[in-house]
Amino acid sequence: MRVLVVDDQPLNCILLKTMLEQQKYEVAIANNGAQALDILRQESIDIVLLDVIMPVMDGFETAPKIKELAGDVYLPVIFITTLEDHNSFEKCLAVGGDDFIHKPFDKVILSAKIRAHARTRRLSQEANQQKKQLEYHYNQIEREHEIVEHIFSNALDQSSQYQQYCDYHLSPASMFNGDMFLMAKSPMGGFYCLLGDFTGHGLAAAVGALPASRIFYAMVSKGMAVNDIAYELNQVLSSLLPSNMFCAAAIVELSESGKSLSVWLGGLPDLYLIDEKGEVIKTLESQHMALGILDNDEFERNTIHLEVDAGKRLVMATDGIIETENSKGEMLAEERFKQVLKSTSHISTEQIVSYTQRFSEHSAQQDDLSIAIINCLPSKVISKAPIEYSSLPFELKVDIDQTNIISADPVLELVDVLSRIKGISEHRSNIFLLLSEAYNNAVDHGVLGLDSNIKNKEEGFLEFYQLRANALSNLQQALIVIHVQYCPSEHSLSFSIRDSGKGFRPNIKCDRDLKQEHGRGLSLLHEIAQQISFNNEGNEVTIVYSLL
Amino acid sequence: MSLSKNASADGKTLTIQIRGKFDFNLVQSFRQAYADIDPETEKVVVDLRETDYMDSSALGMLLNMKKTLAETIDTIQIANCRPQLKKILQISRFDKKFDID
Repeated sequence: MRVLVVDDQPLNCILLKTMLEQQKYEVAIANNGAQALDILRQESIDIVLLDVIMPVMDGFETAPKIKELAGDVYLPVIFITTLEDHNSFEKCLAVGGDDFIHKPFDKVILSAKIRAHARTRRLSQEANQQKKQLEYHYNQIEREHEIVEHIFSNALDQSSQYQQYCDYHLSPASMFNGDMFLMAKSPMGGFYCLLGDFTGHGLAAAVGALPASRIFYAMVSKGMAVNDIAYELNQVLSSLLPSNMFCAAAIVELSESGKSLSVWLGGLPDLYLIDEKGEVIKTLESQHMALGILDNDEFERNTIHLEVDAGKRLVMATDGIIETENSKGEMLAEERFKQVLKSTSHISTEQIVSYTQRFSEHSAQQDDLSIAIINCLPSKVISKAPIEYSSLPFELKVDIDQTNIISADPVLELVDVLSRIKGISEHRSNIFLLLSEAYNNAVDHGVLGLDSNIKNKEEGFLEFYQLRANALSNLQQALIVIHVQYCPSEHSLSFSIRDSGKGFRPNIKCDRDLKQEHGRGLSLLHEIAQQISFNNEGNEVTIVYSLL
Repeated sequence: MSLSKNASADGKTLTIQIRGKFDFNLVQSFRQAYADIDPETEKVVVDLRETDYMDSSALGMLLNMKKTLAETIDTIQIANCRPQLKKILQISRFDKKFDID
């Protein structure tokens, strides 16, 4: 503690200095107000004892200037007066004085006053320190929120491309939404969406949305089933989230045709399938625990399957809607919600939310509030960019001997190799079919000499493959040669498959009998290939496939 | 290449999902997937979302299933086919016998 004594009379100064130093205070001396201000600007002072009448600058003029210099922290100014000088007391207080000490000085009173003001000064310093820290943290959080908000809005950004499928409304209770709604389309044309509700609301609840959204988008882009997506999300969330936090969710897939819905439902309120009038046709109840609770081996994958058509809509909402309370403390609840759904035909989420707000009598929203309605429509055809093909002619020959016939999977390997050629990958299913049919014919009928007619018998299908397995295990000497040619100028791939068997003539009927359990292979080949020809011996087939 | 099966929550739908390659290598496990079917089941879905390849033996296996289940199951749906596989099914007129979605 450092005390500044401001007095023009040396005797007073010495007296006060001695008394204060005895009590272990440090003391600085100034002879007038101007000097005092100089000292205050340069040194740290905790208490000022200020005389009233001084040359250059008197106490009344100095006091407000001291207070100004002190700023937010309390700097006690104690006037040195005589007891008789009653009239000036009021003025001392008016200019910012905090207390008086009277001449002649009483040691005990001086000590008590100094101690009391020193304590107040310390408290004020502490408060100021805390205020500064608070301000710092507040600014810090503001800045961090801005950054996080930016990331969230980018990660969860919902473009308007799914408007035809889905009408949704999200209104978070605070800056960050503990609810999330994600939409995406699979390569097969299926429309997926996920409505999730994390425990609580605000930033803590929202953090889980980032990893969840990444997983959802990645898995939809691979066209995974809803229960596989749920499994993956559960796994990641249970390892990331603290044990008291989880995510109630509905994951929905609408097939490309718009005719079937698959739903994995864990911990959310009931979903409703409604007709054009808004009448509930089916209520889907939650089947599972929310995501992020169960271990992998406890996780249940059961899904709900529904047949739907274009007029039907699936309504999903987080508990924010049904748990909205009015001033009487009544919840909106399921029954009112269902009434709202049929209050107008083709109700919008906007209308539902505004009903909810009216019900709550516009009191402050208590929880995140999210609702989505999916229209069961067939997928629009996505126009594909033209495929680019490699311009390099390519040739490949594979000799497959008995060892590889028995143990390898040459067709799949070949398709994998060919898929590396630019543009060919798009055709890999067809190429697999062509090669698989030709190769299996060469093995089954060429090398092994099996008869397809077995397949026509009851249980013949299985018998055929058992015979095949037996014959394969006894195979001694055999060779199948596959020759592939890619011709960029013709946009074609040609395959020839020759086997070491004694040759067979496939019996191709023009009217392909599809009821038969076999023979389908060759007719399929004819549909998918551009051209098929056999050599005279019947042990080599040549297939030309057009990439156009 | 693998096969998994799943009953729906209400037990009325059996989903058989095939990953990778659908051909005669699956002949046993495919048969097994519907051999002990729950009598409650009304519908079977063959989900091909992760099937890259199929050949005529797969078609044979599907027809076999159709024949075996004709008495008990109303609908067999082949779901989520990639475009090329869908075309194979259409060429084979499977859309007449199966519900292709």
